[in-house]
Amino acid sequence: MGLNQTVRCMGLSFQNPVLVASGTFGYGDECYDIMPFSSLGGLVTKTITAARREGNPPPRIVETDAGMLNSIGLANVGLECFLAEKLPWIAQHAGLAKVIVNIAGFSVDEFVEVGAAVGSRPEVDALEINLGCPNVRAGYIHFGADPESVRRVISGVRKKVNLPVIAKLTPNVTDIASLAEVAIDAGADALSLINTLPGMKIDVAERRPVLGMGFGGLSGPAIRPVGVACVYKVCQHMQRMDAQVPIIGIGGISCGTDALEYILAGASLVQVGTASFVHPQAPGNIARELAEYCETEGIGNISDLVGLAHQH
Amino acid sequence: MKPVFEWVRVTQISSVAERTFVIAFKEPKSAAALEPGQFCMISPYPGSSNVYLPRPFSYFRVSANDTIEILFRTFGRATRWMASLTPGDRIGVFGPLGNAFNQHPGAERVILAGGGIGIPPIILLAESLSRLANPPRIDLIYGEASGSRVVDLAKVVPPRVCCQITTEDGKIGVKGLVTEELSRILDTCKTPPAVYTCGPRAMMAAVAGMLTPGKVALFETACEENMACGRGICQGCVIPVKGEEDATRYVCCCTEGPVFNGFEVKWD
Repeated sequence: MGLNQTVRCMGLSFQNPVLVASGTFGYGDECYDIMPFSSLGGLVTKTITAARREGNPPPRIVETDAGMLNSIGLANVGLECFLAEKLPWIAQHAGLAKVIVNIAGFSVDEFVEVGAAVGSRPEVDALEINLGCPNVRAGYIHFGADPESVRRVISGVRKKVNLPVIAKLTPNVTDIASLAEVAIDAGADALSLINTLPGMKIDVAERRPVLGMGFGGLSGPAIRPVGVACVYKVCQHMQRMDAQVPIIGIGGISCGTDALEYILAGASLVQVGTASFVHPQAPGNIARELAEYCETEGIGNISDLVGLAHQH
Repeated sequence: MKPVFEWVRVTQISSVAERTFVIAFKEPKSAAALEPGQFCMISPYPGSSNVYLPRPFSYFRVSANDTIEILFRTFGRATRWMASLTPGDRIGVFGPLGNAFNQHPGAERVILAGGGIGIPPIILLAESLSRLANPPRIDLIYGEASGSRVVDLAKVVPPRVCCQITTEDGKIGVKGLVTEELSRILDTCKTPPAVYTCGPRAMMAAVAGMLTPGKVALFETACEENMACGRGICQGCVIPVKGEEDATRYVCCCTEGPVFNGFEVKWD
C-alpha cells in the first residue's frame, strides 16, 4: 500500500477512506489484537448516551437473507465511564486514525449535553450524531424522521462544540435529501448515510417475532442498494443547492468494490459495519482492496473518484 | 491466546446420529491452546453459501495431530450448509473465543450433565478432568429426546468416567430426563459435588432449580445465544444475569461466557 490514500475531509486528514461504523467495533479495544483500527481512516465508537444503558432483552440479533437484524437498544457504558475509561484508551491506540464519537439522546437537551461533554475532549476529532433514536418528549418519533428535531439537535450540538459535526441520517423517511438539507442548514459538517432499515423476522414454528423487541434494524449487503441510492440522491440534491458537505457512505460494504459503489455515488469516506462480524479483518482488507484498485487503474488519489457516477 | 481467524479445509465430515454430524479440520494454533467450554465461530468461504453470519460452536474434541472436531446438529440454514460440506471444502474458523470451565472443581465428585447438542463441551471437559493429577470421580449424564439422536460416545468418553445415557423415548439407556438421573446421583453424594451442565435452556434451568448454593462445590453452565461477532462488540448475544438487588443485568455470552456460574444466570 505505497499509494497515497489520504482523504481530506471536514478539515481533517484521513490516512485512508475506510472507517469502522458505530456499534460494529465497540470501543476499539475488543478487537484491537486482530484488527488494529490505527491502520484505518478512523474509528466511530459505539453510540454514547448520558446514562449507562443495559439495552434490550434477548434475542437481540438474527440473521436474515444477506444481512442481519439487530435490536441492541443502544446498550453502552454511559458518558461518564466512556470519558474516564474508554476514550483515553482509544486515543492512546488510535495512531493516525481519526477518533469519531457517536452520540445520541432521548431529548434535544441530552444530545446537546453529551455532545458538549464529548466535544470538549481533545482526543476527539469529530462527533457523529445518531438521529435514529426516539424522542421521548415528542411522542417517540425518531429524531431523524422529523425535520424540526434534526434542526434542533444539529444546531444545538453545533453551537456547543468546535469539532466537525456529522449528522447520521436514517433512510426511513420519504425524502432523505430534504432531511440532509435541514442538517446542512443547521450546521452539519458532513452526513453519514445510512443507518439501518426497520425489519422483523418471525419464527414460524413459534408463531412470534424472533427478536426480543420484535423489530430490529436491518444491516448487511441486503441494504447496500438502499444506501448507495441515498448517497447518490443526497449528492445530487447538494449539487443542485450548491452545498458542499462530504458524505460518508455506510450500508452493506463487504469488499473494495462495494466501497467504490458508494464513492462513485458521492461518498468521500466509507464506514464498514456488519462485515466486521463476518470477518474481523474486513475493514483492513477493504482499505487494501481500494488501494490496489487505485494502483491498477492509475488513480492518483481515491478522492478523484468521488461522485463520478453522476457524470453519466 | 488471542483468537485467530483462519481459512481451513475440512478434513473429514461424518454423520453420527439423526441430523447430527462431526466435522474435522486442522488448526494448530487453536488446537494447542483451546480449553473446554470455549468456542469458535465458523463461517462459509465467500460465495460458497447464502449463510451470512458466522455461527458459534463449542469445541468437541482435539486430537494429537492438531485436528479439531465440532459436533453439530442441523437446525437452520447454517447447520444445513455445514452438513453439506465435504473434505477439502474451505471454511472460516475464528477462535478460541470465550471463557472456559473451571478445571479445578475442588470436589471429590464431579457430575457432568449434557443434554442434546449441548454435549460437546461436556465431553471435552470430561477428558480434561480425567487427566488431572488427582482426578475426581466423574459421573457423566448424556440425555437426548430420542434414541435415534444418541451419539455413540464409547470411543470418546475416558474409561474412568461413569457414563449414563437417558432418552425420553427409552430407546437407549434409561427412559427419562437428565434431571431425573442427576437427582439420583446427587442423592449418593456424601460431600458437595461440582456440577457442570450444557444443554437446552429448559434443562439447564431445571438443573439450576435442583441445586442449592453451598450444597455444591461448583455449578457451571455453558450457555448459548445468537451471536454475530463473538468478541463482545455487537452486544447481540446477551444473557440475563442477577445484578445488584436482583436487578437484571445483560452480559455478553461470548466474552463473559459462554460458561457462567449457574446460580447467577436468571433462568426465568
